[in-house]
Amino acid sequence: MYKWFALKRVLKGIFTYVIIIFIMSVLFNTVNEQTMRSNIEEQVRAETMRLKNMQPAAIQRFQQQRRDDLIHLYRLDRPFMERILYRTWNTLTFNFGKSTIIKSSRGEREVLTIVGEALPRSLILFTLAAVIEIIVGIILGLKKAQKPGGSLDRTTSLLTMIVYGMPTFWVAMILIMFFVYQLKIFPSAGMHSVPPPQGIMYFIDLLWHMTLPLLTLVVIGFWGISYVVRNIVLNILQEDYIMAARARGIPENKVLFGHTLRTAAPPLITMSVLSLLSSISGAIIFEGIFSWPGLGNLYWIAVQQNDIPVLMGDLAITVGIYQIGLILLDLTYGFMDPRIKVGGKA
Amino acid sequence: MNLGDTKYRISEFWSEFRKERSGLVGLAILILSLLVVIFEPAILPWKEANSKWRSIDYWQDNSASAPPAWTNAFTKLKAPVTVRLDDGEKEEAYLDGGVKLVTYTFDYHYTADKAPLDVIFHITGHGDIPFQVSVERPDGTTLDLGQRFEQGLAGQDIRISVDNDGREAAFTFIKNYESEGALEQYSGKSLRTNDILFNTAREGMAREFRPLKGNYKLMVKAMLLDPENSDVQKPYVVVTGSVSGLLGTDDSKRDLFSGLVAGLKWALLIGLLTSAISVLIGVMYGIISAYFGGTVDSVMQFIYQIVNSMPVLPVLIVISAIFKPNIWMLIAVMVLFFWTGSVMTVRSMALQIKEETYIEAAKALGAKKSRIIFKHMVPILIPYSFASMALSVPSAIVYESSVSLLGLGDATIVTWGQILHDAMQGAAILKGIWWWVLPPGLLIAIMGMTFAFLGFSMDKILHPKLKTR
Repeated sequence: MYKWFALKRVLKGIFTYVIIIFIMSVLFNTVNEQTMRSNIEEQVRAETMRLKNMQPAAIQRFQQQRRDDLIHLYRLDRPFMERILYRTWNTLTFNFGKSTIIKSSRGEREVLTIVGEALPRSLILFTLAAVIEIIVGIILGLKKAQKPGGSLDRTTSLLTMIVYGMPTFWVAMILIMFFVYQLKIFPSAGMHSVPPPQGIMYFIDLLWHMTLPLLTLVVIGFWGISYVVRNIVLNILQEDYIMAARARGIPENKVLFGHTLRTAAPPLITMSVLSLLSSISGAIIFEGIFSWPGLGNLYWIAVQQNDIPVLMGDLAITVGIYQIGLILLDLTYGFMDPRIKVGGKA
Repeated sequence: MNLGDTKYRISEFWSEFRKERSGLVGLAILILSLLVVIFEPAILPWKEANSKWRSIDYWQDNSASAPPAWTNAFTKLKAPVTVRLDDGEKEEAYLDGGVKLVTYTFDYHYTADKAPLDVIFHITGHGDIPFQVSVERPDGTTLDLGQRFEQGLAGQDIRISVDNDGREAAFTFIKNYESEGALEQYSGKSLRTNDILFNTAREGMAREFRPLKGNYKLMVKAMLLDPENSDVQKPYVVVTGSVSGLLGTDDSKRDLFSGLVAGLKWALLIGLLTSAISVLIGVMYGIISAYFGGTVDSVMQFIYQIVNSMPVLPVLIVISAIFKPNIWMLIAVMVLFFWTGSVMTVRSMALQIKEETYIEAAKALGAKKSRIIFKHMVPILIPYSFASMALSVPSAIVYESSVSLLGLGDATIVTWGQILHDAMQGAAILKGIWWWVLPPGLLIAIMGMTFAFLGFSMDKILHPKLKTR
């Protein structure tokens, strides 16, 4: 039953996420508590400033009282294990607390708001790039598989290997240098012009700002996809039913897009989602080069400002997105290829 | 598996590998870069680039953001190249009163169309010594550019910059040629010494630079007032040009070629060490998981899945930001994520091998588990992991440089990622300092390409199904 398979997979994904967050809570416990304590000190100091007409002794007593209250509130006086579990629970319920320096566009200091603002911007950039990459990659991969060992196959395979270890952020730097400062046809940074235009122009402006980041991701990304597509399709093309289809005189394009691509769909979908995930897990900081205000850019800012709560929130959300991606991957794969569900032991 | 067997397998592999042209290219680049690492001390133009990359003093005589020397080939007005003159001619003379005069003369052949930015004299001394620097121009005139009286020296390096110390002398020099009216516009401060020093002497020389090409004698004189207890050593002159070295300099005057050569060994180390350790761990993990099966397998698969479902770079960034690890720790953390790469393939292959009859025979003969694993399974599976070993090298290098790009790299070493970080900080993109941005990333890409060539070629040989018809 697909229902049970799906339920099982989702539950397993949630469980994995809980465990990862737990490990992180243990790993980053010291620094988290340091930030909390300094936050408490800051709050106590701010509250003391507001007080007037008080004796020094009374002020001190008040400060001590407030400090103890807050430490109790954040459970910093509890045993180690309880603190860890409490923090894990807070992270799981997206209760990241307040940032130390970074503010959201409306000036709020809630970490969830800050990260939540960045999330859709990253998603739109990366998914759009993935879609373009996949389309280009599949077309190129099919062409490569049609004549394996041909000149197109060999040159593109060579190019695949050449871009294999190319850092995305470096390609971004080069593209900016060339297109922004030499040719001056694209804006250097950000997501919108200031002030953002209204109506339809808003989207055109967005696209104009998005072109260069998209170009960077696509230029690096589609080679690998086309190489994998080629290998998958090459295997399928050797099957008997393809030969039978060809023998029946079915046009080559129909064989390619109808017969072959349908069989190749499950692994192709896996690969597409995986390539999207791998760019989240490996190329996300390239946003910083373009000042594209997404999750990757947030890492840059949080590292530069040493804003620990934002860094932690950003990480928790990125891991979550990655996790959701993995779950979706298995779900679509199970949907496309029924054999997976029956075997569902693992 | 005995030695002859191994030899045979290697020779068989080599005869296949020889046919892969891209594999051979990769191998050639790898060997070349290993040679560069071995002969690094001989290749480095700045010998102490490794230890003094972040020292300000060490680089102070270079010019900041200077393009590579070979860019002269594409410009009409040739810029002078930064040179260091070491072989000064030494002359000693005794003056009245037991004073010893030591003169070092350096020959500088000036052919460029622009004046050098600075001429800097360096000398090490002991005792109380007055120094004087002067330059004899090709037209026969001599300019005394500056004096300095240093007391109580104990082997410090004295640095005399003509640009700073010679302004007044240069102003005095143009007085001979310029009219009173013209001179009023200038003062000692508004002139650049070197624009005068390397200029053709004529009226109007303060306004327009017309190079006087030829041999300049750069002289530094030291008066040893008490020759018994004082001496001077190791004089050298740096003529700072506006282009420098093979790959120019960055905005803190560092020679980029030296930095890139120094970074090569770290790139190789990070890549090779990370991938080798993690692939070995992955192979062992896969074999153990497959061989023991049952609960062990389930637990190990669970751990594998958890590690596998963490996005590497974000976690790596946060760990680096919080623990500020050195390079060895960073490699260790990367290994913690990288070992998962080869587990699944190895596991499925090990599951097949486990059922082979010779394993059963070994079991029947009473072989221990460790013997079966290490004698019969590991030697077969290790070669298959070589391809994935090569293919995971580039990602290790890219991850390290990404972490360094954020400014979280190990500050005791030089890596390509750190050079790119400095380039970002120095707004190299905005200023168009391409020699600062292009080469480091290109080297990372070439390293990646090299191992991709090797990895894909090995993959083709080890998994013949992918071969083209």
